Formats: sequence, C-alpha cells, structure tokens
Amino acid sequence: MKDELRHEQLSMGAKVIGVAALRGYMSGELAHLNIAISIGVDRRLNEDTLSQLMKLQKRAVRFLKSRGYRTLAIPPDSDRQKGTFISKLYSLFTHKMAATSAGIGWIGKNGLLISPDYGPRLSLVTVLTDAPLEPDWPMERSLCGDCTLCVQYCPSQAITGAEWSRSSPFVELVKLSVCRSHKATKRATDGKPNCGLCINICPYGRRESDSQNAEEKKPALKRCY
Amino acid sequence: MATEEKKKELLEKLKNAVIQYDEDTAKEAANEVLSVGMEPNDAIFNGLVSGMVEVGRMFEAQEYFVPELLMCADALYAGLDILKPHVTQLDLGVKGSVVIGTVEGDVHDIGKNIVKMMFDVAGFTVYDLGRDVPLDKFVQEQLRTDSDLVCLSAMMTTTMTGMKKVIDDLRTKNPNVKIMIGGAPVSQDVAEKYGADGYAKDATNALKDAINMVASLKKMKDEVEAKKKK
Repeated sequence: MKDELRHEQLSMGAKVIGVAALRGYMSGELAHLNIAISIGVDRRLNEDTLSQLMKLQKRAVRFLKSRGYRTLAIPPDSDRQKGTFISKLYSLFTHKMAATSAGIGWIGKNGLLISPDYGPRLSLVTVLTDAPLEPDWPMERSLCGDCTLCVQYCPSQAITGAEWSRSSPFVELVKLSVCRSHKATKRATDGKPNCGLCINICPYGRRESDSQNAEEKKPALKRCY
Repeated sequence: MATEEKKKELLEKLKNAVIQYDEDTAKEAANEVLSVGMEPNDAIFNGLVSGMVEVGRMFEAQEYFVPELLMCADALYAGLDILKPHVTQLDLGVKGSVVIGTVEGDVHDIGKNIVKMMFDVAGFTVYDLGRDVPLDKFVQEQLRTDSDLVCLSAMMTTTMTGMKKVIDDLRTKNPNVKIMIGGAPVSQDVAEKYGADGYAKDATNALKDAINMVASLKKMKDEVEAKKKK
C-alpha cells in the first residue's frame, strides 16, 4: 500500500514523501491518528506551490479513505486557515515534525527543514492517518556540520548557530522576534514581508545556476554527510 | 422537479459526505440539490443533519474522536452555507432565539460552536458572544435581545463557577428565561446545584433539550396571556 501511495504521489509531482510512526508522541485528541505522511514539493518562484500541495494532499486523502482508513489533512498554510472547526487542532502538529520523523530531512541552523537533495527549498504538507503504513527511519540529528553560511548571512543576526537534534528539540535555533522585525522592513514586489536569505544561501540542494559559489561549497558539503 | 429516486440519492450523498467528513462532496451534493430543484429544507434535515446524528452516535460509541467530529461539522457547514440562503422557511414546530457563549476566563469554544451549529441548523436566531465573555455581558445581551434561551459553556472547573453568578443574575432580572449549561466539568448535579434549567452532554442533546424548553416557555407565556384575557 505504501509503495502504491508513494508512486501515485511522485507521479503527480511530489518530490519527496515519507512516513512517520508517532505512536505515543501525539497529543490526546490525535492519539489514534499516529501515522504521519509527509509530502514535499520543491518551491520555485512564480509557481503555485500551494495549489499543487493541496492537489497532492486531496489525492492522498482519497487514496487512504477509499481503503477505509481515517485521515486528518493538515493544509500547507495551516496557520492561515481560520474559521473552520478543525483548524483549531492544526496547531497541535507541525509539518516539520512530520518531515523529520519521516526521515525527509533535519532542522537546519536556520530553523527550516533541510533535505539532502532539496535543502530548505521544500514546501510541506502532512496527512495524519491510522493506516498501517510501514514507517521510514526518522532523522535523529542535524547534518549541517560546520557550515555556518546562514548564520553569517542573516541580515538580522537572528540565527544562533545552535544545532538541532531529536533528543533536544527545544534549543533556540532562531530568535524569531528578531527575524520577524527584520522581515517586516523588507517587502517583496507583492508587498508581503520577505527575506529568505537563509534559504537562498543554504548549500544543500542549491542549483548550480543559483550561484557560481555553489561549486566551491560542494566539497565541504560532501564532508558534512 | 427531481424524481424520488434522485432525491433519495442526494440525501444519501449529503449524509455520507458528513459522516465521511468530505467537504468537497458535501458542497457538490448541495449544489446538485439546488440545481434539481429539491427542497433545501429537506436536504438539510434529512441529509446533512441525519449524517450528523449518525456522527454523534459514532462519537458516543467511541468510533469517532474529536478530530473526526470537527471535520464532520466542517463538512456539514460546507453544505449548509450553500443551502441556507435558499431556505424559504424552517419549521420545527418551535422557533426561538438564543444567547450563547463561553464564560469569562475560558477560551475553549469548540463545544460551544458545535452547539451553536445545531441551533443554526434548527433555524434559531443565535446571538453568539464568543469565548471568554464577561459575565455581565450575558445578562445585558439577554435583556437586549429578549432571547428565550441562554446557553453557557465552560471547559474548566475554575471557570465553571462563573456560570453560577450568571444564572443568579439572570434569574433576578428575568425569571422566565431558560438557561442551559454545558462543558466537560458540568454534570446533571452541577446543573441542579447552580439552578440551570438544563444540562446537555453533547450537541444533539442540547438541541433536543433546547426545543423542549422553548416549547414549554412559549406554552407558559400563552397561558399567562390567556389568563390576562379572561
């Protein structure tokens, strides 16, 4: 069943998909939905990532429901979904938690999910379910290594440089208030707060065309692994 | 006009959309109801609501848990939003108005919202005060709107005591008003001790009780007026 789901998702444009077993880690309301499916697509400018993710998510929900399993789909922009009953429960579970538990990546120094292939350039969606899917190995610690590019390039010095690991999940990686107040001063062309340097600079998954520096950074990157 | 068969099919579709918490299907079926010229009232009560009744049963039997219940309620609203503007008249035998809210200090409003939904569906006029509502506000709002019913919700034992104050105030200002309370720490005992007229452990029961209460209230009023005439 898992392979079938994986193939369907990948053929529809998902870049990564993983399954996390979360028995014993879910808060009470969600305790019976202890399998999380994390689906990611790579984020490109000028493409409607959101609608693509919603499409993938709906497909996954159909897939599981038609086989008689329960689902709780957490939308990609769960923080902006208000006004429905279920939106109150979205905050009980995070996309990043699902992704690291499903082995898709780790939490980088910049506080974002880093995948070995796509770096911090993934957008995620989560489907919780009770379907008995075989879980993937969770990611236990950060693979950022000695790299501190995001720490150096952050214009607001919000990144502390601490490293994430599953055993110490509450270390402050990014001073969020500092990041936010900096972001508020920068506007993208659509008028929304914007920065994203820590995404752009991350050598993981960076495309050659992004920068000529990428080639130089790569050897260091290989050592990190 | 739609054939009986088509009607049955659509009612079943609406019902299952709610049970299967499938918002898209609920919307689709609701639009179909309108396009085939079916009575929206029928679709709401024999489709959406009968789905929710089944969900309530499954919740009680612990087949469904809180997330499913919430998603089912969302599916019901998705259909209701489409159908409601086309409803010409709702007839449950009784109509009433209700002031509803979660008491001061308490921000838990999921249960309150589900009860509110049932009142909405039943065609009550609902004055929703939201959550963390100052205790005086309930009394003011009841007097302003002359509602038949006041519903109080509390999810914590610490905020539950606020309900007693509201009930006492309401009783002195307006002895006729009916008061219902609900929430996790509330029980029949608490309801009696606080002097509430009703206590409901879930939304379906709340609605049934509410309809009974409003009916008895209306009857009382009628009797009083009949006596005056004599």
